[in-house]
Amino acid sequence: MPHPPKIQSRHPILPAIYQRALIDAVGKLDPRLMIKNPVMFVVEAGSALTTLLWFQALTGNGEDPAGFIGAISAWLWFTVLFANYAEALAEGRGKAQAESLRKMRQDTMAKKLYLGYEIEKGREPSLSDYLEVSSSTLHKTDLFYVKAGDTIPVDGEVVEGIASVNESAITGESAPVIRESGGDRSAVTGGTVILSDWLIIRASANAGEGFLDHMISLIEGAKRQKTPNEVALNILLIGLTAIFLVVCVTLWAFSSYSVKAAGSGMPISVTVLVALLVCLAPTTIGGLLSAIGIAGMDRLIRRNVITTSGRAIEAAGDVDVLLLDKTGTITLGNRQAVDLILVDGMKMLDLAETAQLASLADETPEGRSIVVLVKEKYGLRGRTVRATESGTGMQFVPFSSQTRISGVDFGDVHIRKGAADVMFKHIEMNGNHVSDALRKVVDTISLAGGTPLVVTKNGMALGVVHLKDIVKGGIRERFSQLRKMGIKTVMITGDNRLTAATIAAEAGVDGFLAEATPESKLNLIRDYQTGGRMVAMTGDGTNDAPALAQADVAVAMNTGTQPAREAANMIDLDSNPTKLIEIVEIGKQLLMTRGALTTFSIANDLAKYFVIIPAAFITTYPALSALNILGLHNAILSAVIFNALIIVALIPLALHGVTYRPMTAEVALRNNIVIYGIGGIVAPFIGIKVIDMVLVIMGVG
Amino acid sequence: MDSGHALSIIRKQVKPAVVIFFLLTLITGIFYPLLITGIAQVVFPVQSNGNLIVHDGTVVGSALIGQPFVSPGYFWGRPSATSPVPYNAGHSSGSNLGPSNPALTSAMNARVEALHAADPANTLPIPVDLVTASASGLDPDISIAAAYYQVHRIARERNLSEDDVQALVSSNIQSRQFGIFGEPRVNVLMLNLALDDMSTTPVVPSLPIQPESTLPPESGLRIPDWIVLVLFIGVFVVTVVPLGRFMVKVIKGEPHLLSPFSKPLEHRLLAWSQVHADDEMDWKTFTIAMIVFSLIGIIFLFTLQLAQSALPLNPAGVGSPSWDLALNTAVSFVTNTNWQAYAGETGVSYLTQMMGLCVQNFTSAATGMTVLVGLTYGLSRRSSSTIGNFWVLLIRSVMILLPISIILALILVSQGTVQTLQGPVTVPLLDPVWDASGALITTQTLPLGPAASQIAIKQLGVNGGGFFATNSAHPFENPTPFSNFIEIIAILLIPAALCYSFGRMVGAGRKGVSILIAMTLIFMPLLGFAIWAELGGNPAFDRIGIDQVTTDLQPGGNMEGKEVRFGIMSSALFSVVTTSASCGAVNSMHDSFTPLGGFVQLLMMQLGEVVYGGIGSGLYGMLVFVIIAMFIAGLMVGRTPEYLGKKIEPREITIATIIILVPIFLILISTAVAVLVDPGKTAVLNPGPHGFSEILYAFTSASQNNGSAFGGLSANTVFYNLTTAVCMFTGRFGTATLTLALAGSLVVKKIVPAGEGTLSDHRPLFIIWLVFVVIIIGALSFLPALALGPIVEQLMLGGGV
Repeated sequence: MPHPPKIQSRHPILPAIYQRALIDAVGKLDPRLMIKNPVMFVVEAGSALTTLLWFQALTGNGEDPAGFIGAISAWLWFTVLFANYAEALAEGRGKAQAESLRKMRQDTMAKKLYLGYEIEKGREPSLSDYLEVSSSTLHKTDLFYVKAGDTIPVDGEVVEGIASVNESAITGESAPVIRESGGDRSAVTGGTVILSDWLIIRASANAGEGFLDHMISLIEGAKRQKTPNEVALNILLIGLTAIFLVVCVTLWAFSSYSVKAAGSGMPISVTVLVALLVCLAPTTIGGLLSAIGIAGMDRLIRRNVITTSGRAIEAAGDVDVLLLDKTGTITLGNRQAVDLILVDGMKMLDLAETAQLASLADETPEGRSIVVLVKEKYGLRGRTVRATESGTGMQFVPFSSQTRISGVDFGDVHIRKGAADVMFKHIEMNGNHVSDALRKVVDTISLAGGTPLVVTKNGMALGVVHLKDIVKGGIRERFSQLRKMGIKTVMITGDNRLTAATIAAEAGVDGFLAEATPESKLNLIRDYQTGGRMVAMTGDGTNDAPALAQADVAVAMNTGTQPAREAANMIDLDSNPTKLIEIVEIGKQLLMTRGALTTFSIANDLAKYFVIIPAAFITTYPALSALNILGLHNAILSAVIFNALIIVALIPLALHGVTYRPMTAEVALRNNIVIYGIGGIVAPFIGIKVIDMVLVIMGVG
Repeated sequence: MDSGHALSIIRKQVKPAVVIFFLLTLITGIFYPLLITGIAQVVFPVQSNGNLIVHDGTVVGSALIGQPFVSPGYFWGRPSATSPVPYNAGHSSGSNLGPSNPALTSAMNARVEALHAADPANTLPIPVDLVTASASGLDPDISIAAAYYQVHRIARERNLSEDDVQALVSSNIQSRQFGIFGEPRVNVLMLNLALDDMSTTPVVPSLPIQPESTLPPESGLRIPDWIVLVLFIGVFVVTVVPLGRFMVKVIKGEPHLLSPFSKPLEHRLLAWSQVHADDEMDWKTFTIAMIVFSLIGIIFLFTLQLAQSALPLNPAGVGSPSWDLALNTAVSFVTNTNWQAYAGETGVSYLTQMMGLCVQNFTSAATGMTVLVGLTYGLSRRSSSTIGNFWVLLIRSVMILLPISIILALILVSQGTVQTLQGPVTVPLLDPVWDASGALITTQTLPLGPAASQIAIKQLGVNGGGFFATNSAHPFENPTPFSNFIEIIAILLIPAALCYSFGRMVGAGRKGVSILIAMTLIFMPLLGFAIWAELGGNPAFDRIGIDQVTTDLQPGGNMEGKEVRFGIMSSALFSVVTTSASCGAVNSMHDSFTPLGGFVQLLMMQLGEVVYGGIGSGLYGMLVFVIIAMFIAGLMVGRTPEYLGKKIEPREITIATIIILVPIFLILISTAVAVLVDPGKTAVLNPGPHGFSEILYAFTSASQNNGSAFGGLSANTVFYNLTTAVCMFTGRFGTATLTLALAGSLVVKKIVPAGEGTLSDHRPLFIIWLVFVVIIIGALSFLPALALGPIVEQLMLGGGV
C-alpha cells in the first residue's frame, strides 16, 4: 500500500504558530482557566503573591531585598507562562490542521431530492427531482444527489450509482477512490469531491454533525475529555502539591520556633517559602500534562487516524489481544483461485462451467478470481452464461457470511459453491454421499494452506476450486514485536480450521478464529473480555460492526461501511489494517511520557531540597551550610530558574513523546527509571550549579 | 447509603460488638494473665517475683534492680535520673537529656569531677557507662571497665590490696548470655555485697581479663554482635514461611495445629454473639463493625481507668488518672499506638493492666490484621463485593496472637520478667542515701505485677505500651540480654510473616516476600546507620576525656539513656525495630540517642510505618505505596497500571493518595501548632533543635501509631493528651477506613491475567522501584522538618557549636 502523504506535510508548522502560542500563553493566565490545572494554579497564586511582596519591598518594608523578590517573582511568572506556552503550542498545531479542514466545510449547495423520490436502478435524477438547498439544512436520512464536480455536502451512504471521489482532503491520498451503492464502499464523507459520474446519497448525519465537524472539534481539543489515567495522575499530582503546600506552610512555624530556639536569624520569608513550594510542586509534569495529551491526539491524526475519544488512545496502549482480519492484513490482498480439481469422475468442462456460473453473482474477489481462472484456463467466456440467462430465469444466491454458500438456480438446476464444511452438509442434505476422494482433495488443499471451495450441481460434488493465500512479507517480525510487548495476535478468517492453522503458522500469529461468523467474532471478543483482557479489532464490513462495537479499541477502515464506521471508536483514513499496531504504540507512548515526566519531576525535588534548605536557614543555623554541597551563591533563585527552564527544555519531549520501542514491560521500566528517575535526581544538581555560575558571572548576588 | 440504612447497619453491629468485646476481655484480660501467673508461680517462683536476693536469711534487694551507691567505699553504679532520689524503683526514668543539651555536658563534667575527687590519683580513662545515666535509672550493672576503674579507690578506701579487689571484680563478671547476647558486665549490688563479705571470705585470686584483640577497637561491632545480627535475620528466614502459612490457615478457617482448641472457641464466640461465619460484609459494613468495636473499647478502657482506684487488684493503691490522660491512654491502646503519657508503676492498677491494656494489646492488633485481610480479599477476589466478616477475622486474629503470646510470656518469666498479683516489695538499701530534702532514704520499693503476660503481647502485637514507665529498659520488663533478643524478635515476627501470608492469599508467596524484601532493603541501611551513629558516641564527651571506644570490657559509644546489659548494638537494634514496626516499646531512651540515631527513628516512622509496620497496618500501608508505585511504573511502560491484575484507576489513586496524605498532614500541622503555642513549647525539655525534634517526634509517633517518644517532652498535659489523641485516632481509623474503601473499590474489579506486557509484581525491579517510591515520598515530606531537628543538631554537635 503506498504510504499517503501526512496532513503535516500539507500544513507544515509555521513560525506563526509559535508566535500565536506565545499570545495564547498569556491569555491562559486567566485564573478561571488556570484552576483547571491545580498544580499550575498554585504556581500562579504564588507568582501573584510574590509580586505583591515585591511592591511591598519597593516601598522599603520587604522581608527580603526588592531585587531578590522581584527576580523570584519574575521567574515564577515565567514558570506559569512556559507551561501555558507548551499547552498553547500543542493546541496550536491542532488548530492549524483544523483550520485547513474547516475550509472544506464551508456551506455548499446540495441537491436535495424531493420526498417520495423513487430510486430506480441506474437512473440519474433529473432537474425536476431535486431542489438546490443550502447544505446546512440537510438532515439525517435526507436523500440528495451529487454529480461530477460537486462537493458532497454531508456524510452519507450511497444508495445508488457509482462514482470516483477525491477524498484527499481528509485522507491526504490523492488517488481517487470508487464509491458505489451496496457492499463495503458505500460510505462517503462530507467535504469530499465527486470527480466523475453521479451518486444518490442518504445523509447519515445532520449538517454540522458530520465526520469532518467531529474531526475539527477533536483536533481543536474543544471536546477533549481527560482520560482515566490522566485523571488519576492529576489526582496524584494534586495530592503531592497539597503535601508540599502543607510542608511549606508548616515550615514557617518550624522556622520561627527554630529562630527562638537558636536565638539568631529570621524566620523563613514568604518569598522563599513560595519559591520552595513552586520548586517542590510537580510543575514539570503538571505544566506539561495537558500538552502531552493534546500532542498524543495530534500524533494520531498525523498518522491519519481519527479517534472519537482520547480514552480510546489510552485503551489502545492497554490492548492485550489484537484481532486482525486475515485478508488484507496478514495475507496480500485476496485469495486467488489457482486450480480446479475434479472428483468422482466428473468432466472438467462441466466443473469449469459450473464453477463459473456459481461465481457470476459472487462479487467477492475470490468469486471474481474463479471467473478469471476459468476464462484463462478453459477458455469459457461470459457468453455461455448469457446464453443460459436468455433461456431461463436465473436466480442468484448471493454469498452471505452466515451461510458461506453462493450459487445460482435456473430451472431445476441448482449450482452451489462454498466452504467445504457447509458444502458437505449441503451434499448430505441432498441425500448424497461425501466421497472419500472429495474429502482427500479438500484436506490436501487445506493442509497446503489453501482454501478448497466445493462446487456442486444439484447436490452432487463436481470438484474443488483451490484458492490460495499469500502471507505478507515482514508481518511475522511485526507479530513477534507485538508478542514482546505482551500483545497476542489473533487472526480472524472465514476459512476452515486447517486452512486457518496453516496460514496462522506461516504468519506467526498466536491464535486464530476459523470459520468466523459475526456471532463467533463477537463471542470471541466477549470471552477475552470476561477473562479481563483488552481487545482491539479492525474491520470494514457491516458484518464486523457488532464485533467492533464490542471491542475495546475498534478501528474501522475509512473505506468501510457506515455501520462499521459508526461502531468503531477510531477510523483509519488510510484504510491500512496494520495501522492498529501504530495506534497501540501511540497509546503506550502517551502513557509513558506522562509516567516518565512524573518520575522526573518528583526525582528533581531531592536536589532542590539540598539547594534551598541550607540557603533558607543559614541565618538561623549556620551549621546547615554543610549541606550546601554545590557551593551555590544564589541557591534559591537558581533553583527557581532551573524549575522554569526545565519546562521549556522538556516541551519537545512532551510534544513528541518518549521514544517507544517494542520491549517487555520489565525492560521498558528499567530504562525509564534509569533515564528519568536517576537522571531526574542528577540533572537538577548540574543544572542549578550551571545557572548559579552564570548568575555569578552576570554579577548577581 | 441513606442515613436510615446506615443507622440500621450500625445497630446491627452493636450487639456482636458488645458480646465479642466482653468475651475477648474475659479470655485475654482474665484467663490469659491468670494462666501465665499460675504457671509462673509454680515453675519460676524466683524469677516471677523479682529475683530477690536473700542474704543471710533476709531479702537485701533484687538482682535485677540497681541500688544507689555514693560512699567511696562501695563500687558506684551508673548515674540514675530517677526522682526524687536516684534508683527510685517506684518511678523508673531516664535523663532524657539530648546529646547536644548543655545540661548533659555539665552533668558529665560534674560526674567526671566527682570520680576524680574521690580518687585523684586515678588517671585511667573514664568508661562512658560510669558517667552516663541509664535508661531505666535502675540499671543494676556497670561494664567491666567501669568496675576496674574503681578498683584503686575501693582498695584504698577499704585497705585492701588492689589485686584482691581486682580479683573480686573478675569473679563477679557476668559474661555474655549464652556467649553471644548482651555485654559482659558486673552487677553492682552483688559486687558490693561480695565486697562487704570480703573481710570474712578469702578471695580466690584470678587474673584480670584483657580485651581480646580479635577486632581492632575502632571497628565498633564485635564478633558476638555480628552473630546476634545474623541470628536476628536468621530467625525471620526460618519463621516467615511456616508462620505465614499457619496464619493463612487460621484466617481462612482451615484446619491447623491448634484447631482442636481454637475452633470450638470460635464457634462458641460466634454463636453467643449471633454472628454467622459465612455472613460476608461489604466494605462499609466492615468499617462500621470495626469502628463500633473500637469505640466500645475506648469507652470501656476510659471508664476502667477512671474507676481503677475503687476497683480490686490494685495492691499498689494507685489513684485514677485525670480524664484527659485516661482518654489519651484509651485512644492510644485502641489505636495500637500505646503512647505512654502514663507511668505504669504509679498510674495503672493491675486490673487496668490486665482487663484494659492487655485486652487492647490483643484486639487492636487483631483489628489491624482484619483490615489487612479485607484489603487482601479486595485484591484477590474477582468481581465480588464483599471483603470478609470483621467479627470472624477479629476472633481468628486473636487466636493467632494468643498461643504465641503464651509461649513468649513464659520465656520472659524464665528470664526474670515479673508475673505476680502481689503488691510492691520493699527492700533495704545497702548504702542509704539522702534525698533532696535531707531525709535519709534507707529502703527501695520494687514494683511488681502481672507484667510478663502483658509484655509478651505488647511486643508481639506491636503495641509497645510498657508495664512500667521506662518500658523495656526496665529490668523487670526486660531483664536479660536474651529476653531483649526475644522481645526484638517478637516485634517483627508477625509483620514479617504476614507478608508471606498475603502473598499466599493473592496467589503466590513470592508476591508477599518481594514486599518483605523491599521493607528489609529500607530497614538494613537505616539500622546500620543507627548502630554506626550510636557506636560513634557523643563528640562532646570525647572533648572531656571520656572513653567511648567499644571494647570487650565496655560497651562504649553513646551510653546516655542505655542499659549496660544491652550495650550499643542491641539498644540501637531495638530502637530501629520498634520504630520500623509501629511498636513503640523502647529499651533505651530515644531522646538521648545521637541526632543521627534519632533521625533514623523519626524517618522510620515518617516513611509511613510501612517498613514492617504494625500488625496488618504495616502491610496494608505498604500496599498503598505499592499501588502508587505500580501506578507510576505502569504509566512508564505505557499500560493502564494494575497490581495483581486489578486495574488502578482514578478512584483507587484518590483513596491511596489520601491515605498517604493523612498522616503527613497530621504530623506536620500538629507539630506546627505545637511549636507556635505555649502549651506546646513549654513541655519541651531539651533546648535548640533537639527540642523541636521532641515535638516532631511526639506527633510523628502518635499519627503513625508508633507510641515511642522522645521522653523529655512532658506529654501528660491537657494539650498533648488531647492533640496526640486526635492524631492517634485519625491516623489509625482514618487510614484504616480508607484502606477498607480501597478494598471495596478493588474487590468489584475483574482480574486481568498477567502477560508479557504486565509489570512484574515481585521481581527485583519492582522491589527497587517500591523502595524508591517509599523513600522519596517520605523524604520529600519530612526533609525540611528533619533538617531543623536532628540534621542540624548533628551538624552542630559534630562541629562543636
